[in-house]
Amino acid sequence: MRRRAAFSEHDMPAPSDDEALAIAFAAHDRTAFDRAYRAYAGLLYSAAYNVLGNGQEAQDCVHDALVRIWRSPQAYSPARGTLRSFLVVCVRNEAISRRRRHGRRMQMEERLAAQPPEHDQLPDSDPIERDRVRSALAGLPVEQRVPLELAYYQDKTHREIASELRQPLGTVKSRIALGLRKLAQALQPAAQADRR
Amino acid sequence: MTGHISDEAALYALGSLSDEERAAVEAHVQACSSCAALLGAAEQDVAFVASMEPQHDAPPLLAGRIARTLDRRSTRQWQPFAALAAAFVIGLLPSAYFWQQNQSLHSAMSAQTAAIQRVASTPHRMAHFRGMNDRGSASVMYAPDGSWYVVLVRDVSKSLEVAWMHDGEKTMLGTAQAHDGVAMLYLPRSHRMDQLALMDGARTVAVADLSY
Ligand SMILES: [Zn+2]
Repeated sequence: MRRRAAFSEHDMPAPSDDEALAIAFAAHDRTAFDRAYRAYAGLLYSAAYNVLGNGQEAQDCVHDALVRIWRSPQAYSPARGTLRSFLVVCVRNEAISRRRRHGRRMQMEERLAAQPPEHDQLPDSDPIERDRVRSALAGLPVEQRVPLELAYYQDKTHREIASELRQPLGTVKSRIALGLRKLAQALQPAAQADRR
Repeated sequence: MTGHISDEAALYALGSLSDEERAAVEAHVQACSSCAALLGAAEQDVAFVASMEPQHDAPPLLAGRIARTLDRRSTRQWQPFAALAAAFVIGLLPSAYFWQQNQSLHSAMSAQTAAIQRVASTPHRMAHFRGMNDRGSASVMYAPDGSWYVVLVRDVSKSLEVAWMHDGEKTMLGTAQAHDGVAMLYLPRSHRMDQLALMDGARTVAVADLSY
C-alpha cells in the first residue's frame, strides 16, 4: 500500500510498481508479461487449483488462459482495474469453463474420492485459511448466501441458479452481486490480519 | 447487450455468465469506461476472495512452458506484421515476401526482423538496379557506412544471386529466392561496396551503383 502521507498535496505520486507493470502489460511489453507472471503465478495457479482440484489441470488452465490473454492484445486495459484481479478472474473463468466441460462436481468428487490428495505437491493448508471464505459466506443473509455459493463453488450460471431456486432472474442477479460485495467486505479483517 | 452493465459485472467476475453474455460484456467494456471500472471493481472482489483461499506455489516448470508457447506464437504472428512493415518502409506493397537463405524458419524470421528494424530505425540510402526491364524492379537499401544491405526484388518468378562487383571480379554474396513474386536478401554485417549485381546463373541481369 502506498502511503499518502509520504507525499505533499502538490506532489503527484509516481505510479506504483503494480501500475507501471499494468501499463507495460497493456502495451504488450513481453518483459511485463514475465514480471506479471513472477508476481502473480502463485495466485493464478491457486485460483485454478481451487476450482479444479488437480495440479496438472490447474497448470493447463493457467497456461491456456495466459496464452489467450497475450494473443488478444486488447484484452486488458488499465481503465478496467488492476492487472492482478483481471488475471485472477481470467484464469478462474477458464478453470470454471473447463470444469463445466468436464462434467462438474460429480466427476471431480469421484476422482478425489478415488485418489489420495497430492501431498507431494501441495502441503495441507492451514484449516483457518481453508475455511475462512466459507465462514465469511456463512455470515451472509441466506437469500444472498445460497445463490452466491452456487455461483462461486458450483460454477452455475445465473440462469441455472434462478431455475434451481425458482426465483426471478433479476432477483438472483442482484442478490449474487450484493452477496459478492458483502463477502469481500466480510473478508477484509482477515486480510488485514494477514498483512500484519 | 445494448445498455450498460450493472449486476452483470459481478456475474462476469464470478464466471456465472454464458459464453455469449460474457463476450457481450467484454465488447461493451472496450468502449465504455464507466462499465469497465464497474467490471474492474467486481473483478477486484472476486480476486480478493480467491486470494483468501488456500494458496499454493505454481510449479516451477510452468513458467518455461508458457514462455515457449508465447515465443513460438509470436514468431509466427510477427510474419505478416514484418511483411507489412517492410512494405511500408521500403515503399513497396508485396503480397508477401520471404527471406530464404537455407536457414531454419526461426533464424530466418529473426534475420528478417533485424533487417526491418535496421531499415526502419536507422538512416539509410537507396539505389535501384538498372537493367531489370521486364523482370520486375529491384532496389537495395543500405547503411551510409556500408555496414548492412537489404536487397529487394519485386515481380520476379525465379531466384537471383546477388554479387559484389569489384576490380573486374564478382564475389557472390547470396541468393534472393523468389516467393510470391518478391525476393529479399539481407546482408547484416558487411563492408562498403560500390556496385552490386543481380545474377541469373552466370548472366548479369541488373546492376546498381551505390554512393556513400
Ligand atoms: Zn457502459
